[in-house]
Amino acid sequence: MRYPPALVINLDHNATTPLHPSVRDALVEVLQRPDLGNPSSTHGLGRSCREVVEAARRALAGALDANPLGVTFTSGGTEADNLALLGGSAALKNAGKPHGVATSRIEHPAIVSAAAALAARGTPVVWLPVAADGSISPDSVANVVKEHPEIGLVSVAGANHELGNIHPIAAIVAAVRKTRDGVLFHTDAVQAFGKIPVRFAEWGVDMLSVSAHKIYGPTGIGALIHHTHLKLDPRSFGGSQERGRRVGTENWMGAHGFGVAASLVDEGVAQIEALSVHRDALAAVVTSAGGRIHGVPMLANTLNFAFENAPGELMCMNLDLEGIAASTGSACSAGSLEPSKVLLGLGSPPERAAEAVRVSMGRFTTAADVAAFAGMLPTLVERVRKAHLRASS
Amino acid sequence: MRVVCAMSGGVDSSATASLLLDAGHEVIGMTMRLYDASGDEQKGRGGTCCSPAEVDLARRVCAQIGIPHYVVDERERFQRDVIDPFARDYAAGLTPNPCTRCNQHIKFQPLLQRAAAIGAEAMATGHYARNLFGQSLLRGVDPRKDQSYFLFSMGRDALQQVWFPLGTWNKDDVRKYAEAKGLPNWGAPDSQELCFVPGGNHGDVVQRRAREMGLSGAALEPGEVVDTDGNVVGDHDGIHRVTVGQRRGFRTRTPERRYVLKVVPQTRQVVVGDVSDTQTARLEVGELQRLELGESGEMRCTVQVRHKSNPASATVRWAGKTALVDFDEPIRSASPGQAAVFYGDDDLVLGGGWISKVEDRANGSLESQASHKD
Repeated sequence: MRYPPALVINLDHNATTPLHPSVRDALVEVLQRPDLGNPSSTHGLGRSCREVVEAARRALAGALDANPLGVTFTSGGTEADNLALLGGSAALKNAGKPHGVATSRIEHPAIVSAAAALAARGTPVVWLPVAADGSISPDSVANVVKEHPEIGLVSVAGANHELGNIHPIAAIVAAVRKTRDGVLFHTDAVQAFGKIPVRFAEWGVDMLSVSAHKIYGPTGIGALIHHTHLKLDPRSFGGSQERGRRVGTENWMGAHGFGVAASLVDEGVAQIEALSVHRDALAAVVTSAGGRIHGVPMLANTLNFAFENAPGELMCMNLDLEGIAASTGSACSAGSLEPSKVLLGLGSPPERAAEAVRVSMGRFTTAADVAAFAGMLPTLVERVRKAHLRASS
Repeated sequence: MRVVCAMSGGVDSSATASLLLDAGHEVIGMTMRLYDASGDEQKGRGGTCCSPAEVDLARRVCAQIGIPHYVVDERERFQRDVIDPFARDYAAGLTPNPCTRCNQHIKFQPLLQRAAAIGAEAMATGHYARNLFGQSLLRGVDPRKDQSYFLFSMGRDALQQVWFPLGTWNKDDVRKYAEAKGLPNWGAPDSQELCFVPGGNHGDVVQRRAREMGLSGAALEPGEVVDTDGNVVGDHDGIHRVTVGQRRGFRTRTPERRYVLKVVPQTRQVVVGDVSDTQTARLEVGELQRLELGESGEMRCTVQVRHKSNPASATVRWAGKTALVDFDEPIRSASPGQAAVFYGDDDLVLGGGWISKVEDRANGSLESQASHKD
C-alpha cells in the first residue's frame, strides 16, 4: 500500500476546507495578471492591485453585513483573534478604561492562549461559566460583566470549533449591553462563517474574526471585522497598511481568494445546512453503538462523539489508515494528538477527554462518504477498545 | 502484513521502516514525543533520539518513503518512568540506567498497545539485537552496535510481538543501504548522550528535577571526598555529579588517579580509591527478568555490567526476583543502579536485572550502597 491513499474521505472540514473550484480559478486568473504591483504604491501597478484588495474587502464586508472600512485583513483567524484580544485590551488600557478580558475555556486556542498571555502580563482575565453541554447563557455572561467591573472586553465564539454548539451571540451582546455600557464584544466567527449566516451589524458585536480557509478559500488570510473607528493597539509595527491596525504589505493574492470565497458563502450555508440529515444519522449510529455525543450538535456539519475506552487518537489513526480524515479536536502544531482542551474545559477527566472524535463534513461531502464512515465505525471501536482494555488491565 | 515501525528519527529506525516496506509490508511509522526541549534548536543541538528535530526527520523519512506517520505524546510517562527515577537514583547515590528503563517502560508497551489498536500484527524497532522466533533475545551480529544489554528488560510478552530487522546487519551496511535509498539521515552521527540531558551534563538536570520533586536538597549539596580509611582527601559539588567507577566530578588534593568507589548519601561522602579498589568479585541483582531461566537455579555464564564493557565469566545463583553473581576474576566499575545482563552461548540473553548491591571493596562484604526505590 502506498500512502496516502488516492481517495481520502475528508471528514475534517473544521480544520480546513478544500479550495472551491471557483476560488481556484479566480486565483489562477489573478496570478496571471501583469498589471499588479504593491497595493500601497501610488503608480498604476499599485492602484490596480489596490483595487484587487478593496474589491475583496467589499465582498467580505458584504457577506458579513459589515462596512468595508471595518475590515482589517490579517494572516488568518489566529491573528485576528490575537489582534482583537491583545489589541483591544491594550487600546482600552491606553484610554484609561477597564481592560480586563472575559472569555471561556472552550474557545479556540487562539483566544484561550491570548487570554492566558494577557493574564501573565497582569491583565485581569475572568473565565465565563460554561454548561456541561458546552452552552453559554446570555445571563451568565451579563452576570460576570456585572460582578467584574475590571472587565472591558468579552469574547465568545459564534460556534464552537469542536462541539458544533452555536452560541446566541446577539442575545449575549444584548444582555451585556443592558448590564454595562462600553464593554467591547468580540466573537470568533471562524467556525460559524460559511456554516450559518454571520451578521456583524445584526449581532451587535464590536469585533468579529473570520478566516478564508474555513470557507473554501486559501490559507494565510483572515480578517478582523470591527466598527470603522474602533481603536486597536497594533501588534506589529512598520508602515500604515490596513489603517495602521495591521501593517505590512497586503496579501493581495490571499485577499482576492478570500473575497471570491466570501461571495460564495450564502450558497455554501445552504449546502451545509442540508448536511444536518447526515449529522443526525451519524449521531444515531454512534448512540446505538453505545457511544456518547459531546456538546449540542447545532452546526449541521459537526459531530463530536466518543466511545468509552476507545481513545480518540487511536480511532483517528485507524480512520486515517482506512482513508478517512477525522480529528480529535483542533490540530496540534506538532502533529500529535492530545486530549481535547474543550472537553477538559467542560470538566471532563483527561481519559474521557482523550476519547473525543470530531467529524466535520463539508459542502462536497456525499451520502456515500458518510455511509462509508458509519459502516466501519463499530468495527474500529471494537478493535481499539479491545487493545486498549487489554493494555490497561 | 500491517507493521508498526517505531521511528526515532535516526538512521537505524529509518532504514528499518524502508526494509520492511521492501519486504512488502504495510508499514506505519510512529514516533514518540518524550520530553519538552524548547530552545534546543537555538542551541544547535537536537541530535538525540526523539528530540523535536528528530521527530521532524522521522516525519520527513515517512513522507519520502510513502508511509503514514504518527507522533504520539508520551511525555508524562517518560517523566514518571524515566526522568524522575533518574533524578531520584542519582540523589540516592545510585548510578541509574535510563535507556534500559526507557526500553522497559516506554519503548515497547505504549507502542505495542497502539499497534494492536490499529490492527498491526507486529512492531519493529531499529535496535541491534536478534529476536529468535519471538522467544529468545540474542546479541546483534555487529559487536560494536549490539544493544541487547539495553533490551533485557523489555519482557517476554513484548518479545513475542517485536521485530529487530537490524539484528543481523552491520551498522556500516545499514548506512550504505540508507544512502542508496536516499534517506536524509544516512550519514547522521550516532547519538551518544542521554536524550533528555543537553550537552551531557546530567548534574544540572538531576538538581533541577530533584528540587521540583521536593527530594531532600541536602543530599545534592557539595560534600567531602574520603579515602577507604575515612581520611578526607578532597571535595565534590554534589553526589549526583559523580558516577561510581569514574574519575570525574570531584577534586582531590593528591595527584594519584582516584576512582569513585561508592557514594554515601546520608553523609554526602564520596569514597574514592585507586583502580584496584574499583574491582568487584560479587554483586547482587534485583528485579530479575528471567528470560531463559526457571524459577531458581545456578549456572555458569558471562555477565555484562555496562553497555560497552566486556562480559565476564561468573557463576550466577538466582531465585525469584534476585540473583547473586560471583565473578571468576574481579571486574571493574559495577555500580548499583546499573543493569547486569547474563549471556549464554551463542549470544543468547538468559536474563538480567538491576544491580542492587556490590561487594564492598574495603571489607569484602556485600553491601547496599543505597536502597533502590523503584
